[in-house]
Amino acid sequence: MVTGELATFLSGQIDIHIGTRDASLRPHSARVSAVSVEDDREHVVAFVPALGADAILRDLDANGQAALFVGRPPDNLAYQLKGSFTGARPASGDEREYIEQFWDSFLEAMAVIGFDRSTFRHWPVWPCVAVRIRVTAVFCQTPGPGTGAPVA
Amino acid sequence: MSVPLETLTSSFQGLIPAVLATCSLDGVPNVTLLSHVEYVDPRHVALSFQFFNKSRRNIAENPQALVKIIDPDTRQGWALDLRFVRSETSGPVFERMALRIEAVASYSGLKGIFRLRAADIYEVLAVEPIAEEPATVDTARPTPHASGDPVFTMRALQDLSARIHRALTLESLLDSILIGLEEYFGFTHSMILLAGEEEGALVTMSTRGYPEGGVGSEARYGQGIAGMVAEARKPIRISGLMRAMLYALAVHRSAQEQGYRPERQIPLPGLSNPDSQLGVPLLVRGEVIGVLCIESETPYRFHEEDKQTIELLGSYLAIAIQNMQLLERSDTHEPIAEAPAPTTQDPAVAAKPMIAGRREVTMYGDEECILVDGEYLIRSLPARILWKLLSARCREGRNEFTNRELRLDKSLNLPEYKDNLETRLLLLRRRLEQKCPDIRIVPRGRGRFALQLDCDVELRERA
Repeated sequence: MVTGELATFLSGQIDIHIGTRDASLRPHSARVSAVSVEDDREHVVAFVPALGADAILRDLDANGQAALFVGRPPDNLAYQLKGSFTGARPASGDEREYIEQFWDSFLEAMAVIGFDRSTFRHWPVWPCVAVRIRVTAVFCQTPGPGTGAPVA
Repeated sequence: MSVPLETLTSSFQGLIPAVLATCSLDGVPNVTLLSHVEYVDPRHVALSFQFFNKSRRNIAENPQALVKIIDPDTRQGWALDLRFVRSETSGPVFERMALRIEAVASYSGLKGIFRLRAADIYEVLAVEPIAEEPATVDTARPTPHASGDPVFTMRALQDLSARIHRALTLESLLDSILIGLEEYFGFTHSMILLAGEEEGALVTMSTRGYPEGGVGSEARYGQGIAGMVAEARKPIRISGLMRAMLYALAVHRSAQEQGYRPERQIPLPGLSNPDSQLGVPLLVRGEVIGVLCIESETPYRFHEEDKQTIELLGSYLAIAIQNMQLLERSDTHEPIAEAPAPTTQDPAVAAKPMIAGRREVTMYGDEECILVDGEYLIRSLPARILWKLLSARCREGRNEFTNRELRLDKSLNLPEYKDNLETRLLLLRRRLEQKCPDIRIVPRGRGRFALQLDCDVELRERA
């Protein structure tokens, strides 16, 4: 489901948000510090700062429906990944460096469009919850007439 | 609502992208970025609807939405729980949002594609701070307004007013306004465009802070921020212009892939990388006499109070400019006791060097345009005036002229009503200062001027 091109795109310098919903279809979202693609190219792991993860974890436990927005700030190239929740765990200490480097690459991308690296540096990145999602569909989210089209 | 919405106005500038989360009726969530969230009133916001997308379809099925915005001054994130109320395709909220988007579209050649389809109005059910997106603790780097220092103090307004009152000519008035905006308010890059000879056109009359000057450049109504302001007769403020342009560029690419053929892009005026722009119409009794534009490389330079104060200032400046135009038309040949206004740029910057003390001035009759030594100088009425002056000097040896004789000269084809002759003469003076300072028009008193040459001039006429 995650093509090689998309996997490369997901390797850094991107803005990521996870969307969920509760039983009354009320949406929730949380900022994601980093994402990784598993070798099977069907599962991704979204690292969500623990401080903002409560609402989405409740939703995911209850119904499993997840959406991920991934967008590259300098050129606005973006995708929407839909999927189902397969589990969550605290991110391990071994993963911390990867997460912090990933977040740093996002700050770098924001600097390209005029946001000083200090703009978002004070936002907590760690500790994180690792949210595992099986990707079931991918859509183009780049702004323009073609937005929303399925990506093969 | 835990936090009053009206305290978050800085967060609605679109400087940092907002996040919109929605959900379809069959329970599939969707999360995306949003170009524009607009404050409507203490209980409502409006979201921009530009493209038919999943979020819009979700809202049609399920009116619940969550928007997250970030205060550009403090970097605090805010979560707004929303319920969709209605879509508006006209009215003040729609027009306010559309103007900003269309101004960006006009820079990108995307008019008609990059546009606001509707302003979607939402009731705000709750506003909560986002715990994982706290305000900055970096107090060593306050943003200009986070410091709490107001830009528009009564003292600064009084100083600007006093400077404007000292101006005795249109030229010194325009320069005084821009110098005052820099000295008293810190706006280092500004320009005034006045109504051009042709309907629906503006001509840059005075600039400050731009090495290239730019006097004489034209903007059509609807083009760029100045043209949009004139067309809409409303102020436009754009924060985070760089991000908006990148967003428009993504749309541009996407549109081309979909087979659209966007219009030719037009260059941004002024700064090469402006990140904030503010344009206010100069209106007198509903008539647009010009536009004042201020730019900055700071992403969030113009706050809501700046926009309101400059808009108010704009009406005062408009009356001052029109009064001066009327005074200069009065044809009383009084000497003018003030020193020439300081030019807003170094004349040597753009001037082409003269060859062996000689200038070749060519009038292209069909296009009514004058080239000096092969370089464009000016067109239309100012070109006809310069040609008349230079011809009279060569033929009759005259150096002194009056505005009145120009008004009576049928060959110049001045409009009977509101000929704006003085404004056109000022434009001609400024262009000569920039492009060939050895040909000068020097005021001798109100309604009189002299043509001074420090070079030989060869006149040529071409079709």
